[in-house]
Amino acid sequence: MRMFDAVIRNLPFLMGGFWITVKLTSFALLGGIPLGILVGLGRISKKKWVYYPVTFYVNLIRNIPLILVIFWFYFVMPIIIGHPLDPFPSAVISFIIFEATYFGEILRAGYQSVSKGQIEAGYSTGLNYIQTTRYILIPIAIRRMLPSMITQSIVTYQDTCLAFVIGLPEFVRRTTIVDNLEVRSIQLFGFVAILFLITCYISSVVSRRFEVKRERGY
Amino acid sequence: MIEIRDLSKWYGNFQVLRNINEEIKQGQTVVVCGPSGSGKSTLLRCINGLEPFQEGEIIVDGVSVNDPSTNLYKLRTEIGMVFQRFELYPHMTALQNITLAPMKVRKKSKKEAEAKAMELLQRVGIPEKAHEYPANLSGGQQQRVAIARSLAMEPKIMMFDEPTSALDPEMIKEVLDVMIDLSKGGMTMIVVTHEMGFAREVADEIIFMDEGRIIERGTDISFFKNPKNPRTKDFLDKILL
Repeated sequence: MRMFDAVIRNLPFLMGGFWITVKLTSFALLGGIPLGILVGLGRISKKKWVYYPVTFYVNLIRNIPLILVIFWFYFVMPIIIGHPLDPFPSAVISFIIFEATYFGEILRAGYQSVSKGQIEAGYSTGLNYIQTTRYILIPIAIRRMLPSMITQSIVTYQDTCLAFVIGLPEFVRRTTIVDNLEVRSIQLFGFVAILFLITCYISSVVSRRFEVKRERGY
Repeated sequence: MIEIRDLSKWYGNFQVLRNINEEIKQGQTVVVCGPSGSGKSTLLRCINGLEPFQEGEIIVDGVSVNDPSTNLYKLRTEIGMVFQRFELYPHMTALQNITLAPMKVRKKSKKEAEAKAMELLQRVGIPEKAHEYPANLSGGQQQRVAIARSLAMEPKIMMFDEPTSALDPEMIKEVLDVMIDLSKGGMTMIVVTHEMGFAREVADEIIFMDEGRIIERGTDISFFKNPKNPRTKDFLDKILL
């Protein structure tokens, strides 16, 4: 086991970092997807006071690198709210703001693929806007866009590494700390790569099983 | 039941409906025909408020459709609508398609809504398809589920927008039979269709529309034999072959 001696010696510390990565990913998705559902609705809204602000937000964020969003949020928020934020909540909020725009655009495409007639069928049975949106538009769009949404979720998971720039002791950050002490870069970062590879691969296999459901024809 | 007075509608500068006047009494079946682009579908969509209109008035069961104080959602529960392309919700089974509105709008219990849905599926002849998804149903079966979905709200009026135009010939009859049944059962119906056999059998009135106007109306067979307008004759020659 000499090959992985430094990893084994520091395993609890490294896995603690991995756990932070998993938590950050989960919060980013739990916030980013629901917000993305609303952002997507805003992007197809006929109400100008909804459409323009949402579109501005989406275009702004999507044209800024994620690392800058994380930085900017971490350094600017204390000026606005008057006290510094912890890296973890700051990273979670940055990721939610960032990912919601990507999920929003994926879902906008999904909403636009739903036939106008299916929505009108809902209205013609007396359902209101919220009901047709909730029971018809959103479920159809999510089912159709599931493969893209899973891909985006995997990207989010990989992107969480960027939170190291604000000192969040996540997986990669902790590995760097260990490497500074142990000087075993190849095995340490090799271990990080393998763990990412395995978890991402499992997620994509699971997502392909979801796609089988699409045989129902939506 | 439905009163349409001097109805006019524009899309931008283009006038789609011109001075439509029509009265439909309870229990009547009115067939609307005419070339595509003549405003037939738009007329139906104005009646249940899916499309706004600029001039005139539509009164459904005593309620003015374009009165800003009218609750359109409530009005639409009284008017069933069946579409050319069925428009079933693809992520729901036939049964779920039918029970959605009764449960969410009428606040019926799942059990009650499902019992009613099964009764309706029985009536349209496909109770065994209750748990199938639309993708696994033929066009004719999908359209019958769509009819059952509308009927589940127990509407006072049923509107059909070319319900058989997207169907293969062998499936047209199964849908028409359901509609004939409904009409004979006393439902107030407006049907946009070119199925003249259906019109002959159940129509109380046949309206012919062209360029947004009603240019001909007749109570039954007379309409086919001696159309007054050359456009009508031309059109009937085409569809009757």
